[in-house]
Formats: sequence, structure tokens, C-alpha cells
Amino acid sequence: MLRITFTKVLNGAKLSPKHIYVATRAQSGEVKKPEKVEVFIDDKPVYVEPGTTVLQAAAMIGVEIPRFCYHERLAVAGNCRMCLVEVEKSPKPVAACAMPVMKGWRIKTDSEMTRKAREGIMEFLLVNHPLDCPICDQGGECDLQDQSMAFGSDRSRFTDIEFSGKRAVEDKDIGPLIKTIMTRCIHCTRCIRFASEVAGVDDLGTTGRGNDMQVGTYVEKLFMSELSGNIIDLCPVGALTSKPYSFTARPWEIRKVDSIDVLDAVGSNIIVSTRTGEVMRIVPRVNEEINEEWLADKSRFAYDGLKRQRLVTPMIRDCNGELKPVDWEAALLTVAKVIKNAGSQVGAIAGGLADAEVLVAVKDLLNKLGSEALCTEHTFPLDGSGTDLRSSYLLNNKIAGVEEADLVLLIGTNPRLEAPLLNSRLRKGWIHNELQVALIGPKVDLRYDYEHLGDDAKVLKEIVSGRHQFSSKLKSAKKPLIIVGSELLERADGAAVLSAVQTLAANTPSQDKDWKVLNILHKVASQVAAFDIGYTPGVDKIREGNLKALLLIGADEGAIDKSDLPQDCFVIYQGHHGDQGASIADAILPGAAYTEKQATYVNTEGRAQETLVAVTAPGRAREDWKIIRALSEIIGAKLPYDNLNEIRCRLEEVAPHLTRYGSAEEANYFKQAEQLAKKIKIQLDECTPIDVKIKELQDYFMTDAITRASPTMAKCVQAVLKQKQSKY
Amino acid sequence: MASQAVKRTIKEVKPILSVDREEARKRVLNLYKAWYRQLPYIVKAYDIPKNVEQCRERLREEFTKHDHFPDIRVIDMLVIKGQMELKEIVNVWKQKGHVMTYFKDSLEPKPKDFLSKFLSGKE
Repeated sequence: MLRITFTKVLNGAKLSPKHIYVATRAQSGEVKKPEKVEVFIDDKPVYVEPGTTVLQAAAMIGVEIPRFCYHERLAVAGNCRMCLVEVEKSPKPVAACAMPVMKGWRIKTDSEMTRKAREGIMEFLLVNHPLDCPICDQGGECDLQDQSMAFGSDRSRFTDIEFSGKRAVEDKDIGPLIKTIMTRCIHCTRCIRFASEVAGVDDLGTTGRGNDMQVGTYVEKLFMSELSGNIIDLCPVGALTSKPYSFTARPWEIRKVDSIDVLDAVGSNIIVSTRTGEVMRIVPRVNEEINEEWLADKSRFAYDGLKRQRLVTPMIRDCNGELKPVDWEAALLTVAKVIKNAGSQVGAIAGGLADAEVLVAVKDLLNKLGSEALCTEHTFPLDGSGTDLRSSYLLNNKIAGVEEADLVLLIGTNPRLEAPLLNSRLRKGWIHNELQVALIGPKVDLRYDYEHLGDDAKVLKEIVSGRHQFSSKLKSAKKPLIIVGSELLERADGAAVLSAVQTLAANTPSQDKDWKVLNILHKVASQVAAFDIGYTPGVDKIREGNLKALLLIGADEGAIDKSDLPQDCFVIYQGHHGDQGASIADAILPGAAYTEKQATYVNTEGRAQETLVAVTAPGRAREDWKIIRALSEIIGAKLPYDNLNEIRCRLEEVAPHLTRYGSAEEANYFKQAEQLAKKIKIQLDECTPIDVKIKELQDYFMTDAITRASPTMAKCVQAVLKQKQSKY
Repeated sequence: MASQAVKRTIKEVKPILSVDREEARKRVLNLYKAWYRQLPYIVKAYDIPKNVEQCRERLREEFTKHDHFPDIRVIDMLVIKGQMELKEIVNVWKQKGHVMTYFKDSLEPKPKDFLSKFLSGKE
């Protein structure tokens, strides 16, 4: 694959990441498939497409060639030489990761020459690698450690007769998340390639040559990326490790639990590592349809927020206005009495971290009591089809589908900070697929070039009517996408925006019949499930309702405060963090956070996924739906489910896709939604410019109750602000 | 296939001790008698706060708890277990506390319904 880059350079094209192909993707797009070539790996024949590298061909028949620098999602570098293999009739071994196979090649991955080459490479690497495995955080999951055991020599020739010591390199300070011990670096350049290709922050690079080569940021500066944590996973040795995780646990003593991230609406798959009943770290789990193998920094490092500001016991506000801890019996009795007295004048607001189980339980309870005042904290237009048709509130084309697009129009969203992994897909498309991006909204830094159409609402109107210069581009695109930020739809004229976008999407042709142009990007994890279950978006109902009791289910964004409610309204907060919601509450019922319960979340593309229990909830905190279930029995409106299976059955009754874990339920009725949207009376407010709340990196880190309680996230904000003042 | 299945159902199983129901019944009665006769000595040797009358009641309860098993092998197995228990008591391999566990005076019943499980922290 290096050849392609090479020819482009010869033809005078500038060598940018845009021209570096990722080999695995290269074949997928081609229309005419050339004939396959036969090669022999350890005498086993395999047919591969021309241009396949030796390493990929070997992988096809299950032979894994050791490597350090090669990574399938990054460009090929070919500088570690660990993947050297023998090719018959070739005098020298070849680097498998960079060498395309030729017809009839006989590749020997375990011959004498190959083994000797590997042993030699290992020896060279270890000459300048410190022997600090016992105190290295990578110890136990280190590629160098494993491969030196498997392929290295069993004795050392390193005697250091001059007593000069091994090569030593000064450590860099690249921020509060990544610890660098640069002496351990083996110059694989994975971090450099990740930074320039995936993250789009070209800060990392090398200085010096040969023995004096160093990887670093040239000048001391913060590695300012929302995906920075991934270079920790990429680093094959312990040169880049996690700062919050440093010296806390060893890989063989932690328990790993597969789970789902809920700090944005993408629903990244994660592995929660726990020890002694504490979350030690969070690392990504591969899911090609969602997060590939990356994870955003907020999802990766906000876990220390799960140990702080937690609500650990039920509380009731006493006559002096102070919250006093009580036991569950007293708390439930008090709350039940209030709700019973309120009759049907009881409402509920679901926050951004609520799971589907508790949403269903609360809805069932309130409906039983005769109330329909069930709202989500984040609003959404209700006019037209509103939330009745799923197509108008989902990222219909799926996250993976973004890669295939050739034109993307972003409206009122900053995907880099609202959904970093969606943005990495957009960037991938921009690099490998000639994707063009345009943005209506404030000019934000997306780490790729885009056409900024202004932040005027007028632009949207012009595009819809076809008068704008961009309209023709949109019409001629083969696979256009429109991604609308949910925040834009929260405006007073959100309905008009949605209607305009729906019309625009309907009038935008695409070549693929299954291609869906209209996409909504949500910001919080609970929103789609709440709409699927039938919550009303926005808290207007609560304001008008003249309520006597209000249940906040993790609602911490301050959508409602005491002044919006009648004087005698009793506020019950159920959630896991003492944040905004708990401060206005008269009673607090402590719930479990996402690492402490088996719960269902639906991401922005409508994919139901479940979290699993990694640690137990602290103190007297309980799983959320169980609190509601217990409360219902005391109120006298007993809910008909006692265990997880039974409530999952109820979920299935309400919306069957909620329990089909892992698969995204398709939405349809685009046409009907668009027709209904035409009836909307509200006019587009052209005076207010289109805005997003999270504009710069410092706004990204602290957005919800968990991240606001996290010291690491606070440090990140400080570091970014400090970097902004630095002259670099 | 079908004939094989039939064959399998009528296949005779190997007896543990008894070959018929009557024999099993005899073994049960013998075990009962042995326990019954041992009870006064148990009360005395272990110095438990129960009298012989109470122990007899408990013994009868223990036997009637298992009176519904149709399978002879299960009955035999229970008899063997009962003999082992008795032997342990007679040889004073057990201690006072072990004997008293038959009565489970201080054991609180586990919460069964959702609400009591929730309040006791089991749910």
C-alpha cells in the first residue's frame, strides 16, 4: 500500500494524511475486482487480492505475524521491523506489514531466517529499553514484554562494559491524562500516526535521528484532543500510560466487565476494570458499528467522578430546611404519603443518565396514579409528528454509515465535542472517501476542513428553498447526509427547524435507496429511550401542571427550579450524584450509576445496549427501577414486576426493540413525518443565530453530574485553559 | 429411534440398597426406631435445652418432610444420610451447636416478597 502514496508523491501530489490509504478499506470501494493472486503462507495456499500485504495475507489463514508499529486502523509505517518474514528465493527478509504480495510467493513465517531476524530485532529494541517491567504500568499487557518472551533470545549479550547506561530520554508533559515515560519508547510512531490521522491534531512528531530519535511535541504543550486517551491503548510499550490509573492496579488482578458508556449519546462499548469494589479504569471494547476501537476522553477518564459527590443514603429535608439522612423505610413512607396525597398531581422529569428500566417503571407508576406529566429534561419539538415517528429523532443512517457519505451538512452541532466518535468517522470519510463537510452554526474547530455557511438561520431557509449556492451541491451529491444537533431543536422555533430540515431531506435525492439523509444527533444517553417509551420532551407540562409532587430522575441540568413550581410542591430527587437536582429536593432516593446496574440504554441511532454490573452501588443506594417498584407498593399502586426479567418483559411490551440488544432498530415513515411537519405554524426565527453550547475543548469535559464530580475532568479543563494562554 | 426410546424407559436401574418398596420402607422404619431410641441419650449427652418430647416431635417432622418420594433410590439415599447423621451424633463427632441447628430457633426467615427484600437490602 505504500506504493500508492509513493506514486502520488511522484506525480507531484502533496503528501498529506488524505493520501495515506488504510489498506483494509482500500478494496471495499472498488467496483471492478482484479483477479486474485495465489500465495503460500507456510506452504498453505491462500488467494488474496493484489495489493494485499504479506501480513494481511497471513492473517487470512490465521497466522499472526508479530508487530509493533503496524496497526490496522492506521497508515503503514514499517519502521519497527518486527514483522520481518522470509520469502523464498529472496536474499533478505521482508517487512510483512508494508510489502504487497506477489504471485506465487512462498512466505515462511516460522523459518530459521525469520526467527533469527525477530530475535535480532528484539535484541536491538531491548538494548535501549529500560528493565523496569516490575514498576511499569504496562506490565502484564505489554506487547514488548509478551513478544520478547515469545520471540526474543533467552539470554542477553548486553553487558555495558563502559558503564554508560542505557539510552535515557526526558519525559514529556502532555497533559493531565497521559503519563509519558519516554525512555521506554521504541519509536513505533503509532501515537504520531493516530494523532495526525484519527484525532487530527498534528502535535506529535519525531526529532533527531537514529539513536537520538525522540517522540514528542517539539515544544512542551498539552496534547489537545478529545480522543487523546486512545494513544495509551495504542502504545505497545509503557511509554504512554494513563495518568489517573498509574500505579493503581495490575491487569491480572482486575475484573473486567463489558458495559456501555452513557456520557454521550453515541453509546460506546467499554470494558470497566474493577478491583476491590472500585472502578479502576475504563477502556474501549471493539464495536465496528459504533466506536471501532476508540473511546472519547470523557468516557474514558470521568470514572473518578463515580466515587465523589455520591448520594449514599436516603435523605429527607427536616423542618430546619436541612437534608437529614434516614433509612429506606422512613424515606419511602414519607415519599409515598406525599405522592398519595398528590393524587394525579404528580409529575416526573427524566435526566440525561436515566436508563430505560426506570423510565418504564416511573411511567407505569405515574400512569397508574392518573398522571401523564412525564417529561424529559432536554426538549424536542412536539409539533407535527413530534416524537411519534422515530425517524424524526434518530441518527437514521447509523454511525458507521457516515463513512460512506460524500457530502455532510452539519446544522447546529459540534460533533467533535458532542459525539467525538462520530466526528472521528467524519474525519475518516474526509481523509479516505473525499467527504465534503459543510456547517451551519458557529465556526468551531472540527479538525478537518469544512465549508462554513454561517450561523444565520436564514441560510437554512435559503438552502431549503434552493436559493443558496450550497443547494446544487446537495442535489448532486450521491450520498448526502444532514446531521442536525438536538440542541438546535431545543430552541423556541425548534419545530420550524425540524420541519425545514425534514423538507430539505425529502427533497435531497440520494443514489442508494436505503440511504437516509435526515439524522438527528442527541447529546444525552437517555433521550432516545425516553422518546421510545413515550415521555414528553421538555418540561413545559411540569411548569403548567400545578403539581403537588415532582420526581426528578437524575435531572441535574437545572431545566426546572423551585420558582417554576407551586409553593407546596414536594420535590423528590432520585439519582446518584449530589448535584443541581439534589440541592432543590425535599427527599432524596439514592440510585445506582451506570457502572452499578444492569440497565438498558438506547443510543442516538436507536440501538439498544445494556450496561452490566461492575461494582455494587455505594452505601444504601439501590438500582433505580427497584426503588420505584418498592415505592409503588407502599403507595398502593403495585407495579407488576419483581425482577429484571419481568421488567424486561414489560420493556418489550412497550417497545420490543428495547430488549434487542446490539441491533439498531430501523426507523421509517420519513414521508409521513415530513407531511405532518408541513402543518407546523411556527416560523423560523431568523434573528437568532444558530448556536451550540459546547464550542471549545474546555467546554467538553464537564457536562453532566458524573463529569462535574470528577477531579480528572476538572484538571483537564484547567490544562486546556492554561494551554490556551500559552504562546504555543 | 422410537423403539430405542421405549427400551430406555423400561431399562432397569441399579438399586442402591433396596430392591422393592417394602424393603425400603423397612429400612426407613429401622432408621426411625434407631433415632427414636437414641433421643433420650442425645438430650442428656449434649445437654440441649430441649426435652425428649420435643425431640420426638422434631424427629417425626423430619421424616414426614420426606414422605412423598416415589423413587426407591432416593429413599435409600436419604436413609444412608440419616444413618450417617445418627452415627455422627452417637460418636459425639457433632457438638451442641450442630445438634441445635435441627431446631433453628435463632434463624430469621429470609425475606420473600419484593418490598421486604428491598428494605433488608437483599434486592
